[in-house]
Amino acid sequence: MSKMLRSWKTWVALAGLVFLLALPFLRLAGGYLQTLAFLTFLYIILSTAWNILGGYAGQTSFGHATFYGLGAYTTAILALRGVPPLLTMPLAGLVAAFYGLLWGYPCLRLRGQYFAIATIGVGEATRLLVLNVDDLIKHSALLQGLLHRGVLTGGATGLMLPTPPDIRAYATGFYYGTMALMALALLVSWRVKNSKFGLGLFAINMDMDAAETVGVNTTRYKILALLLSAFMVGVAGSVYAQYVFYIDPQTVFGFPVSIAMVLMPTIGGIGTLVGPVLGAVVYGVVQDRILTANLDLGPIKLSLSSMHLLVYGGLLVMIVLFEPKGLVGLFRRAAGWWQRRRSRPVAAAAQ
Amino acid sequence: MSIDLPALIVSAVLLAGLYATMSYGLALIYGVMKIVNLAHAGVMMWGAYAAFLLVARLGVNPFLAPLLIVPLFFGLGILLQRFVVRHVMSAPPISSLLLLFGTWLIMQNIAYLLFSGDTRTITTPYTLLTLKVAGFAISVNRLLVFVVGVVALVSLQRFLGHTYLGKAIRATAQDSAASQLVGINTDRIMEIAFGIGTALAALAGTLMALIFAFDPDFGRSHLLKSFCIVVLGGLESFVGVALGALVLALAEALSILAVMPALQDFISFAILVIVLIVMPGGLMGLIGKLKPKGVLR
Repeated sequence: MSKMLRSWKTWVALAGLVFLLALPFLRLAGGYLQTLAFLTFLYIILSTAWNILGGYAGQTSFGHATFYGLGAYTTAILALRGVPPLLTMPLAGLVAAFYGLLWGYPCLRLRGQYFAIATIGVGEATRLLVLNVDDLIKHSALLQGLLHRGVLTGGATGLMLPTPPDIRAYATGFYYGTMALMALALLVSWRVKNSKFGLGLFAINMDMDAAETVGVNTTRYKILALLLSAFMVGVAGSVYAQYVFYIDPQTVFGFPVSIAMVLMPTIGGIGTLVGPVLGAVVYGVVQDRILTANLDLGPIKLSLSSMHLLVYGGLLVMIVLFEPKGLVGLFRRAAGWWQRRRSRPVAAAAQ
Repeated sequence: MSIDLPALIVSAVLLAGLYATMSYGLALIYGVMKIVNLAHAGVMMWGAYAAFLLVARLGVNPFLAPLLIVPLFFGLGILLQRFVVRHVMSAPPISSLLLLFGTWLIMQNIAYLLFSGDTRTITTPYTLLTLKVAGFAISVNRLLVFVVGVVALVSLQRFLGHTYLGKAIRATAQDSAASQLVGINTDRIMEIAFGIGTALAALAGTLMALIFAFDPDFGRSHLLKSFCIVVLGGLESFVGVALGALVLALAEALSILAVMPALQDFISFAILVIVLIVMPGGLMGLIGKLKPKGVLR
């Protein structure tokens, strides 16, 4: 314990926590910082969830937007029918997990690259289905009952949720709630990493045949990882729908959502506990800064909003080429260099 | 609503030629290097914009534009392989997947910067021309696109089958270690294969731009279709790719009879996922499997 108290890391983490807890009361920059922090919490949940399947088990999914979208739509559809939105959150997670089982069970039998390709297909197919499901239902007498005022998903128009009267208190409530969910997600990720289950996932990641030979039930482990991941993303989608009050297929089911979930852990450090957090923070801040920035070069005015994926694409290429463990790997390398530098004079003196 | 079935099939066959062109590059790169080229989508899109620049801005004849575009993208492919992709050849497959995905993102956003997100179309003198053959009205534009695609594929097939370089490429695809043993410079072969794959993707993009509207996001659904075809065709065989292209084009065309047009793409993505899961060997694998059982001869 005293060793922990002496470490600078503990103090930095504590200071950060106090700052985040006090943020809603500080009202920095007119609450702007609070919104940014809220979104970053949400990103951390997504990134951590993706990392359980993509990082620990090494199954790259380009289809995680399906879970996010299903979570968001579950909450929105039920809320419009009078169910209190907060109560729908576990259900949103379960629906996402169920859908994960539906496509994960067959797809996870595919290996590596094939799984990744299949997930792109699943993601696109799901988005198109949600976009058109209303028209399909209208033609079928059996399913008419699913409609509410003539809509289920609202097609491309999306769904609008009623806003509460005191929006500031509502947002602050969500700020703390999401922070707690983020802590929970990190706890789950940490527990998984240090469990027999986690070891099994790492074994699958390194060599699937070898893992099977030593008795890891690879199919079951991969599906469990997917279910856990899908549940967390589904809950995050539900939070998003309740916070933004408006969802449509492009914003929650779109390919960019899946891309974001691949990018964040990869930038931070794939397969590590802290990596997805770092990646999500970088993503959140860069997204926010770049999306609002404008370059003014005299005659040429360049809006940077279209450049954010350029930045991420560049980052991704650099990371794969030079530091596959992302920011975490970079920090480790820097720390190692620093240690060697500090220990060198001592070693020289000993000689 | 009455649908002219024969006309539907004719147009599906014409589309299949284009589909085969767009997928063969992907299959070739996978065959030789065992990597899935996600940047394929970006290259197709750049091919479309290259055609847009040449045809719509500079007034080049649309069917001469490939003569410029193909060598250009062949060079680009070689550079990509030499300076980027080569470094992850021995890494786990996920690295190359992410790397090429990053490359795709970069290409896409350069296009957004240069051309904005507006949807573009190319209109040529051939666009509205139709030919009446045996009672069918055939779009001259689509027919020419089909012919260019087929000519490119057939000449590539001749090249792979009858030249030293082509045979070396096929040998590397079969067993790169053994090819190295008999004195083939596999690094060089991989560069050439990546170059050819990229050039084919760009050619497909150019041809597609003459038929469909496009924007910087345009490659994605075509990438998925290419995967679908390649997986149907069994990843490494030329006949298989052609067959896969035909099956997908027909399935898409005929799906109009069963589902609404908005869900047409859904059909091809569903086929992709189902085929990946149910028949990992693709159509050729299925035929091979049925042969010994005496179901097919």
